[in-house]
Amino acid sequence: MTGWGIAVVPVRAGALPLGADETVAESGGVALLVGSGTIEAAERLGPRAGQVEVWEAGDYRPGAWAARLAAQLAGYDTVLLPASPDGRDLAPRLALMLDRPLYAPAMTVTPGQVTVIRGSGLRLEEHTRTGPCVATLQPGVRGAEAVNTAVPIPVALHPVTPPSAIPDALFVDLLAADPTTVDLADARVILTAGAGLGSAECVDLAVRVATGLHASFGATRVVTDAGWAPVSRQIGTTGVVVSPAVYLAFGVSGAVQHLSGLGRPDTVIAVNTDESCPMMAMANLALVSDARALLQVLAERLGVAAPPGGGVGP
Amino acid sequence: MTQPDVRNDPPDFDVVVVGAGPAGSAAALTAARGGLRVCLLERGPFPGSKNMYGGVVYPRVLDALLPQWWERMPVQRWVTRRATMLATETQALTVDYRTEAWSRPPYNGATAYRAELDPWLAQQAVDAGAILVTGTTAVGLLRDGRGRVHGVRTDRPDSTLTAPLIIACDGVNSFLAKEAGLYPSFSADNITLGAKEVLGLPKEEIDKRFGVTGREGVDIEMLGVTGGIPGGGFLYTNLDSISIGVVVSVTALARAKVRPEELIARVKRHPALAGYLRGARLLEYSAHAIPEGGYDAMPGLVTDGMLVAGDAAAMCLAAGIWLEGVNFALAAGAAAGDTAVEAIRAGDTSRMGLAGYHRRLEGGFVLPDHRKLRRAPHLLLSGRMQEVYPRLACDLVENMFTVTNPTPKKGLGRLVRQGVGERGLRWRDLARDSLTALRTFG
Amino acid sequence: MNCIVLLKLVALQPSIDPLTGVALRDPHGGLSAADRCALELAVQTGDEVLALTAGPAAAERVLREALAGGAARAVRIELPSAASSLQVARVLAAQVAGPALVWAGDHSLDRGSGSVPAYVAGLLGWAQALGLVAVTAGDPLRVQRRLDAGRRERLAVTAPAVLSVEAGVITPRRPTVRALLQAQRAEIAVVHTSPPVPEPGRSVPFRPRARVLPGPDPGLSARDRLVTLSGALREHQPPRVVHADPEQAADELLTFLRARGVPR
Ligand SMILES: Cc1cc2nc3c(=O)[nH]c(=O)nc-3n(C[C@H](O)[C@H](O)[C@H](O)COP(=O)(O)OP(=O)(O)OC[C@H]3O[C@@H](n4cnc5c(N)ncnc54)[C@H](O)[C@@H]3O)c2cc1C
Ligand SMILES: Cc1cc2nc3c(=O)[nH]c(=O)nc-3n(C[C@H](O)[C@H](O)[C@H](O)COP(=O)(O)OP(=O)(O)OC[C@H]3O[C@@H](n4cnc5c(N)ncnc54)[C@H](O)[C@@H]3O)c2cc1C
Ligand SMILES: Nc1ncnc2c1ncn2[C@@H]1O[C@H](COP(=O)(O)O)[C@@H](O)[C@H]1O
Repeated sequence: MTGWGIAVVPVRAGALPLGADETVAESGGVALLVGSGTIEAAERLGPRAGQVEVWEAGDYRPGAWAARLAAQLAGYDTVLLPASPDGRDLAPRLALMLDRPLYAPAMTVTPGQVTVIRGSGLRLEEHTRTGPCVATLQPGVRGAEAVNTAVPIPVALHPVTPPSAIPDALFVDLLAADPTTVDLADARVILTAGAGLGSAECVDLAVRVATGLHASFGATRVVTDAGWAPVSRQIGTTGVVVSPAVYLAFGVSGAVQHLSGLGRPDTVIAVNTDESCPMMAMANLALVSDARALLQVLAERLGVAAPPGGGVGP
Repeated sequence: MTQPDVRNDPPDFDVVVVGAGPAGSAAALTAARGGLRVCLLERGPFPGSKNMYGGVVYPRVLDALLPQWWERMPVQRWVTRRATMLATETQALTVDYRTEAWSRPPYNGATAYRAELDPWLAQQAVDAGAILVTGTTAVGLLRDGRGRVHGVRTDRPDSTLTAPLIIACDGVNSFLAKEAGLYPSFSADNITLGAKEVLGLPKEEIDKRFGVTGREGVDIEMLGVTGGIPGGGFLYTNLDSISIGVVVSVTALARAKVRPEELIARVKRHPALAGYLRGARLLEYSAHAIPEGGYDAMPGLVTDGMLVAGDAAAMCLAAGIWLEGVNFALAAGAAAGDTAVEAIRAGDTSRMGLAGYHRRLEGGFVLPDHRKLRRAPHLLLSGRMQEVYPRLACDLVENMFTVTNPTPKKGLGRLVRQGVGERGLRWRDLARDSLTALRTFG
Repeated sequence: MNCIVLLKLVALQPSIDPLTGVALRDPHGGLSAADRCALELAVQTGDEVLALTAGPAAAERVLREALAGGAARAVRIELPSAASSLQVARVLAAQVAGPALVWAGDHSLDRGSGSVPAYVAGLLGWAQALGLVAVTAGDPLRVQRRLDAGRRERLAVTAPAVLSVEAGVITPRRPTVRALLQAQRAEIAVVHTSPPVPEPGRSVPFRPRARVLPGPDPGLSARDRLVTLSGALREHQPPRVVHADPEQAADELLTFLRARGVPR
């Protein structure tokens, strides 16, 4: 096979990774799905993929897959993977095998130019391409055309055995998403706490305000990393993917990895002291104000200022 | 009851300096230059990290310590224009002074970021041989069998540092000075709150609005802008940002239930200042306690095995239009360092052996200035100074300059009498305040 | 076990000039929380830990932190900070002698691609387990890797291997003052290299890309599809930026929400 570009999509038990549809769309519909349950995954992808090959290769094995895939991909100028956890993991190994530069994570990939995201989403870097490359595409930045999944697409199935000589970590099992986050995925209104809240106490206050507004509570990765909220509440590429109608962001800067888990809310309210951060730029109502003090006032107005069951004393 | 810590190991250092602010770095620098083994302890990840603000420093005190300091010190702008503003909500009377002399070495005041100034100062100490340990907080004093201080406990797992002399430069509300029993009576009344915003504005815009060029800068101090809460306001130009803030009484602030940000917002809206700030972008907000100077609020400065310098010893002057502390901290730190060298060489770090500290402070400007200005905070924070005089002055000038045709002009004397009468001001108070002012500043 | 930890000096509060997109210099960089965790895990799983960094002289700071944290040796490979991730990985891998567990952070704050650990694994031909959120010591190591949409993968890892961890996977212990003092005086070996520095990309502030939106429901009439596409009949309100104190902000926010039926 040869051509401008090809999307390489790692599949686990029939589940597509985040951003698979965008990656396939960016490479003009040419795709190679590799992993377990690939046929089922190809059907899910729908006919946006003009030319799909599926490689049934069992459990995820970055080292072995890269070795096995390289020859197949050499004819494509651009090898594109989603910047999902598996895509990020596999892409450098492919780049090494193909002896090509890697652009990760990219916002746009064209035959002449690649734009990559740097500084946790604060800036972009534009690179003029000088030859073939491997790139990962940040999920959520491109969007993808809707497809009618009822139309079957022709797929070419290759059962493959990855070379066993190449060492990989031993796969044990897959843990499903934490069930307590289901409400978040379906929520119409979400209130998210970001690093700007500055303390566990203030994040707790945000949880109470969310309850007062009948909203679900979400958090950015900085907040879950700090242990101020459970990891199950993290929204974004490596957290839960949500699609609320109304989104309230308190002290959230709006890094791509966060926004790409956000869907397309009709209404965004952002509270931040930095007027020019991406979250404020996309807000319908951008409040330049101290989020901590505002949460305190909101808690009082909504009658949730005291912790539930809060008595006196320590 | 803490167990006396008796160990016979040789001490880890000759001196442990706690706090890498201006006082601590100056102490570590002079002590290390004197050949002592010095450890400089700082709780922040780097010196200045917890002291974020841009103020005006008067570094002439460095002339002897770091000759030609102006060629190396990280400075934002040299203050060549200094203004004092008396204001009411709608009026402002400003005395605006500028001089070319302050734009040439050896300069006078400079605006600087603490996050740049403090690391630079600490580096001078390190270059002189001091060992800087960051990310480490002193949490207590070690005492020997006779109750003399001979080390500190830190917040790191089972980590103590021993030395025959500790120099406490841990800033306002000094925990170490209190633990050493040097603060006989400590009260919140002796603390002021400084709150400040840094607003970003392009350099060319600042130059244009304030009528300066190159590295020239402006320092404006204001009275009467803090909405009746005793205190003052300040505005300093940095290279491409403006520091604006207030210094107010903590107790009055608490009583008025006003948040410091709101006070700053009020200052920013003042018609005499708003034009300077239009379109500026908030970069950071910070608030910090300031020991409200006053000779009378100073703790003891010396005990067996320990010296106290800088804000830790309340060597700061924060009264309305005054905001000086870094210069006092530097001078006191250097005096402490010199005293340390003398005491360690003589092998006597008892209170007696450290007597040189007081002598040095008296011989310089630190104690004489504080003694001289001991009444300044009280005077400047009095209700009359805060509310009545600014209004009186503004009204007086307004009446003088308002053309009241067809009514004939009133004479100045009559205007003054009228103003004083309308404000319910007693001549006796006016006379007394003038006298205090004369004694303090004259 | 032989353990190696890869540490990078990064600006801890990355910020950029919003007009030019140029990253502002942060002179007070340090270790990211993830790298700190990698160090702790290396010390806990290894005997004689080697700490490696590739970077300019200022990067020695992170090696001293590693020595204070329990690493036995430290090597800095002189490399300009503009070097590519592959160049970084090559010089790091060249210092690895014999089988080991190589620990790294999940991604660096300024670059954020997480590709250095994967490259190192590829160059050494070793297994990789990247983006770990849980690690249980033992042989094999039992680890959990974060996948998308909240899922996790459990892996068993035996040496030699490269592992990268997220912040929060473990709570690093604080070094003692004595360890800090010793680390300050320790010798740090420097290896010199002079690779060609790659052409830097052009830096611009973050601007979202125009997104492709799913088209209207094909079941609608031609007119309705047009109307949906143009958004002509939808009510629009221009975005508003409001500077407000907390009380005013609360008024604004609650009024805005009520107009949209929240809380229901
Ligand atoms: C591979 C990878 C995957 C990632 N996955 C995710 C993910 O799934 N989800 C996720 O969220 N992140 C993810 N991240 C991290 C992401 O890049 C950002 O670092 C993170 O989203 C930033 O979180 P934040 O907005 O809370 O913090 P920051 O970026 O630190 O922003 C804090 C904001 O608060 C504002 N602020 C500060 N003080 C106040 C105040 N008093 N009042 C109001 N505002 C204030 C500041 O101006 C700033 O805008 C990932 C990163 C990588 C590299
Ligand atoms: C808003 C504001 C504006 C000001 N403006 C000016 C001005 O314009 N000009 C001027 O001259 N002065 C000004 N001052 C006063 C000036 O900041 C202080 O007087 C000066 O910083 C005192 O220096 P210092 O070294 O004594 O204390 P600090 O600068 O407070 O340094 C103390 C250091 O000790 C560290 N520390 C504290 N406790 C411990 C511990 N237990 N263990 C280890 N380390 C510890 C701290 O982290 C800090 O680095 C201002 C103050 C404020 C708050
Ligand atoms: N220059 C470097 N020196 C040492 N380790 C590095 C360097 N760059 C990256 N790493 C390691 O690789 C991890 C991921 O970085 P990156 O691939 O740049 O996102 C970091 O957390 C470090 O552990």
